[in-house]
Amino acid sequence: MLVKFLATYRQIARCKSCDLPAPSNVLELMEALCARWPEFDGLILNKERTDKGDDVIILVNGRHIEHLDGVATRLTEQDYVVITPLVAGG
Amino acid sequence: MAKQLVVDPKKCVSCRTCELVCSFKHNEEFNPRLSNVSVFHYEDAAITVPIMCMQCDEASCAAICPTGALRRNAQGVIEHDANKCIVCKMCVSACPLGNISYSPAKRMIHKCDLCGGEAWCAKYCPTGAISLVDPDEVPDKKQLAADKLKAAVEEVRA
Amino acid sequence: MTQANGWIGTILRINLTEGSIKKEPLNMQDAHDYVGARGLGTKYYCNEVDPKVDPLSPENKLIFMTGPLTGTAACSAGRYEVVSKAPLTGIIGAANSGGHFGPELKYAGYDGIIFEGKANHPVYLHINDDQVELLDANELWGQGVHETTEALEAKHGKVRVSCIGTPGERCMLFAAIMNDKNRAAGRGGMGAVMGSKNLKAIAVRGTGGVTVARPEGFMNEVTKARTMLKEHPVTGNGLGTFGTEILVNIVNEVGGLPLRNGRDGSYWEQADDTSGERLNETHLVKNQGCFGCSIACGRVTKIEGKGNLDGFGEGPEYEAGWSYGAACGVNDISSIVKANFICNEQGMDPITLGSTVACAMELYEMGAIPEEDIGFPLRFGDAAAMVKLTQMCADGEGFGKTIGLGSYRLAEKYGHPELSMSVKKQEMPAYDGRAIQGIGLEYATSNRGGCHVRGYMISPEVLGIPVKLDPQVTEGKGAMLKTFQDLTALCDSTGMCLFTTFGIGLPEIAGQYREAVGSDETDEEILLKGERIWNLEKRFNMEAGVEKDTLPPRLLREALPSGPAKGKVNELQTMLADYYEARNWTADGIPTPEKLAELNVTY
Repeated sequence: MLVKFLATYRQIARCKSCDLPAPSNVLELMEALCARWPEFDGLILNKERTDKGDDVIILVNGRHIEHLDGVATRLTEQDYVVITPLVAGG
Repeated sequence: MAKQLVVDPKKCVSCRTCELVCSFKHNEEFNPRLSNVSVFHYEDAAITVPIMCMQCDEASCAAICPTGALRRNAQGVIEHDANKCIVCKMCVSACPLGNISYSPAKRMIHKCDLCGGEAWCAKYCPTGAISLVDPDEVPDKKQLAADKLKAAVEEVRA
Repeated sequence: MTQANGWIGTILRINLTEGSIKKEPLNMQDAHDYVGARGLGTKYYCNEVDPKVDPLSPENKLIFMTGPLTGTAACSAGRYEVVSKAPLTGIIGAANSGGHFGPELKYAGYDGIIFEGKANHPVYLHINDDQVELLDANELWGQGVHETTEALEAKHGKVRVSCIGTPGERCMLFAAIMNDKNRAAGRGGMGAVMGSKNLKAIAVRGTGGVTVARPEGFMNEVTKARTMLKEHPVTGNGLGTFGTEILVNIVNEVGGLPLRNGRDGSYWEQADDTSGERLNETHLVKNQGCFGCSIACGRVTKIEGKGNLDGFGEGPEYEAGWSYGAACGVNDISSIVKANFICNEQGMDPITLGSTVACAMELYEMGAIPEEDIGFPLRFGDAAAMVKLTQMCADGEGFGKTIGLGSYRLAEKYGHPELSMSVKKQEMPAYDGRAIQGIGLEYATSNRGGCHVRGYMISPEVLGIPVKLDPQVTEGKGAMLKTFQDLTALCDSTGMCLFTTFGIGLPEIAGQYREAVGSDETDEEILLKGERIWNLEKRFNMEAGVEKDTLPPRLLREALPSGPAKGKVNELQTMLADYYEARNWTADGIPTPEKLAELNVTY
């Protein structure tokens, strides 16, 4: 499963994207990422590790997980995930 | 020992917030010309440097002042006493850094007084380009150089 | 002297035909009702100018207006607004800009300047506090923005300069007014109006100050709001670190980055080549802030080792990065930076220019523009042709002159007006209204034509600020947009930068405004001023003869071929009905007499 990082998360992951075996849902993916890159801890997950962090945007196949099933959104090998800190412009 | 202002031009983004809050703190007016800190922007080099009084140990302004209007206080700050000042502007000429100013509009001398210890320029600086530090806590340049070497060695090892 | 309420209390009125210079008191009732900058400038304009006026005639007026917070320590409050009827659109044009010019004008003792008539030869206005003079600009005529600025600095010392380049002199329809070299009052062709008056520049030096009504309360509000900006991830870190171009990847990932004039949908495999992350690696020298701004999103950039492209300047912003990037299908970031440099150096709106080149590329590829008209092939993705055409437009040479008409007139000339990606003849920016429904509604209803800064729906629809709305649905968009439009009109009119609204909201904007002007109005009463401004702009546009609120047929009928929003078109009619209802306008989008009476808009 392809996971893409944007903005400062690229510096944490030291890559633009990576291939991971698909965990069953987004929460498990976040946990896997924190395990691999401890600097993600406290950023992409909340303190209780029950939900995503406040300032992170997670897209599954281009859809914000808030419009899917949140961190319970199920994942398969074919899915494509984008993780970015909250940024803006205009 | 008195705290001192430290400037890091690398962090300065040229916004001049320091000029705004300094002039307001001392005059209740937003007016960069009345500010005790001035921001100099070097466009071609993309470098900006805020300049303000360094509260010199050997203060030329205080030495030359004929009326004792400029004196070092208990906190080590050279204070300006408008009541004693005759606005002769000798201090303006004497300061080697140009950090004593004369306002033609207000017909007064003005200089940095560290806002009585609050240093608004540092307090409101959005990037930390100006900071108010205890001299004992200023990171020693030797230490910084050592830190860089250590990081380089780590990189090589990795 | 200054009034203790954020205002100086003086307006300069310059009649260029007569060469006369008058100082008059600021209309404080209008300043109260219409806040300042955009709102107040528009009110002055509506009071004084026939809405049917030809924008490029001497009968038109050009107004520079600051806000009550301009030049104070309020958050990012360094802005001024230029108001006139826009030559590109024929409706109200209001374009604002940061940098240091606006505050300097106030420090010189003026809240605004109203230019009337037309000088019989090129002139510039020199302001040195009380001393105001019109001086000969024959030697400046024909020079670019940077040369003009440097010449005036050399002559007058520490002045802040707002000026036009050669496209403005030629009244090119999307010429911008530039200040501090690289800051633009960019959209709608305010630079063309300035050029039509033979007015090359304003150089100002001011040594006075601005005072506020309740100093202690004001600094408390400023401190609170600045702390919020510092602590917010966008305004405290993201924008300063990456600039606005950071949006490229995220907007592309939601499938909303219009590709090749929108012809090929809105998802681009090469988007990352043109991203903010990439710009930081390749061209960024450092970030820089406008006057009083803690966000510091500005990009100081340079191009080295690229031969003809080499240069030094600022930007691009996200919109220019898109118009020269995805819209033209060009993924060479150096060429994008270069094209943007040319726009800054000559004073042109890069959103309209890049989009017009993109439109020409589509017309060329479909055979509608013969190659002999252009002089060279103009295919999507051709970076060199894009930069060349931008320079030709700046110089008014060959096919560059046709590009200077903007995409609507260009596409119409070649028989395909439907391929202009514009609303009311102004090009839409860098978000696809098919993938992001509410931004489509925003383009359709914007009072200055296709524009993203009249109610930035990307905030809720993509970023989730202040709440997350689903970009693909229509529900709730009308009411949210109405609030965003009113709040934006308020924010613009105070003199603050719209970017502050990523980190602060109405309570903080209203709080700083109240303490500065000495008002006891509630937040809601202050927001109502934004709604008043919006309705006045709308009324002007109706009298000027505005076209109806709609979108290019491509957005309404051509389903997106790929990406996360595949199959979508913009459901404008559904959202328009909700929007007009939220505005309490008629079903045809006309402000009702009751609404106008409630807002006390008499126009």
